[in-house]
Parts: sequence; structure tokens; C-alpha cells
Amino acid sequence: MLPLLLATTGCRSSSLFAGPDPLAGRPPLRHDVLTLQAVIAAEENLISLYEAAINDDSGTAPQDARSRTLTPLLAQHEQHLAQLRARLIEPPGQPASPSASAAGSSASPRPVRVTTARLRAAERASAAGLVQRLATVEPALAQLFASIAASDATHVTVLAEKALG
Amino acid sequence: MTASTAVSAVSALQAALAAENAAIFGYGVAGAHLTGSSLAAAEQDWTTHQEARDALTVVIRRLGAAPVAAQAFYQLPFPVHDATSATALAAYLEDGVTSAYLGLVAVSDQRLRRFGALAMQGAAQRAAFWSGSTQAFPGLSVP
Repeated sequence: MLPLLLATTGCRSSSLFAGPDPLAGRPPLRHDVLTLQAVIAAEENLISLYEAAINDDSGTAPQDARSRTLTPLLAQHEQHLAQLRARLIEPPGQPASPSASAAGSSASPRPVRVTTARLRAAERASAAGLVQRLATVEPALAQLFASIAASDATHVTVLAEKALG
Repeated sequence: MTASTAVSAVSALQAALAAENAAIFGYGVAGAHLTGSSLAAAEQDWTTHQEARDALTVVIRRLGAAPVAAQAFYQLPFPVHDATSATALAAYLEDGVTSAYLGLVAVSDQRLRRFGALAMQGAAQRAAFWSGSTQAFPGLSVP
């Protein structure tokens, strides 16, 4: 009886029943998901830079001094990453989000020295990038981005105060 | 901007203004216990908060609302009787300002979101100066 009713009223099943059309294929990723994936990749890159800087023993400052300054900042970036990942809910079957490790696989095998100036520039760029993305995401995510950007801004100040090479 | 989002923006702006007013009062208390470079920093931050208060007042008036008035007296979160407690008060005030601007980041007006986010950065940097340490999530309660 139901198919007859649908036929007589001219309705398609997709307009009568709410929810995704099972025949439509994989739904496109929402804008917030794509934005989060990009921000996560940027955060992973920042963490890689810190790890390289902490492990670099060719600087002018003693390595323990570098480590003492940079390790707490690295820990805060790891907290940023954990919070960002916690907000990311990808539909099943989607390809993995871009990551620093994937990006790093095509990089030069020779390690590049990461100076404090480079970290400072990266922090400044991260804060600016997050503020740039505020406009297009939902409010709770905007607040997380703004808070992380504020944290990054404080890191810029710390790195400017320390001459670590 | 619809009426509902305008109300939301005004209430967030008013919360930021209230925090700026509290900071202006608090820096006046803190400054009385500071000397030298700390006093100079407190005076600079006091001026920054006055400028922010004036900017917020203009924006709120443009949106057709009456800016919230400063109170004659604010209850301090703890006794302030020396340089150490004055420094802790300055950090506390900046944390409060950072949290207040976080509300502005949630409004729908994109310019206000950006304004709030940049104000958070300034307040977080001042909080880090006074407390001597940085935070992973300034202004935000993270479980």
C-alpha cells in the first residue's frame, strides 16, 4: 500500500524520510572538519619543530637551557593537539587527515636547525592563522582556536625573551 | 545582523567592558604596592585597559546600548598588601579579561570575533608576564 501511496502523491522516498540518502554515496566532509584537519596538521608541524629544536645540540645556548625553556611550551602544544583531535569526528571511511608525519616523508633527509627565531615565527604564524579561521567555524570551535592563538602569542613573548640560538 | 545576534554581541561586549572596568580598578590597587619596573609595567597595563574600555564603550553605543558603568568598589579576590600579592592580582585580573573576551569570540559578527581574539592575546601575554608562566588554554575551561 505504501508504494502506491508514494506513487499517487508524486513523492520521492528521500523527501518523505529524513536522514542521509543511502544511495547518494559518501557525504562530503563538513567545513569544520576540513578546518580542524588543517589546524591539526599545523599543530603537528609545530610540535615537530619543537622536538627538533629540543634535540638539536648545535645551538649556542647549552642544551639543558634550551630544553628547560622549550619543553613546557612543547607540552602546551601537545595539549592543544589533544583538544583539537578530541573535537574531530570524521565520518567512517574517510581518508586519514593530513599529518606532519605524512608531510615530513617528502622532506629533505638532512635535518634543518630550528632556531628560536624560527620557532617564534612559527608561533606567530600559527596565532595569525587561527584568528584567520575564526570567521567560518562554529562558536565553540572558534573559542578553542582563539584560546590556542592566545597561548601561541604568549609563546612568542617567551621565545623573544630567551636568547637560545 | 539580526536582533537576536545583536543582543548576543552587546551582552558579550558588556561582559568585556565589565572586566576592563574591574581591571582598571584592580591595577590601581596593585600599583600602590609596586615599585620600579613593575610599577611602570602596571601603569602601562592600566593605560591599555583604559583604552580598551573607551573602545568598547564606543562600540556598545554604536550598537544602540548603554555601556555598563564601572562600580565604585570591587571586591578583591584576596588581600593585597605587598608586591607579591599585587603581582598575583595583576595576573588574576588579566585572566578575567581573557575569559571575558572569549565570549566575544562566540558571537556571529566576524569582526567582533577577531577583535575578541586579538584582545585575548594581549591579555594572555600580560597574564604571562605577571604570573611568570604561560597557559595552554588562556580564558578557556578545558577538562
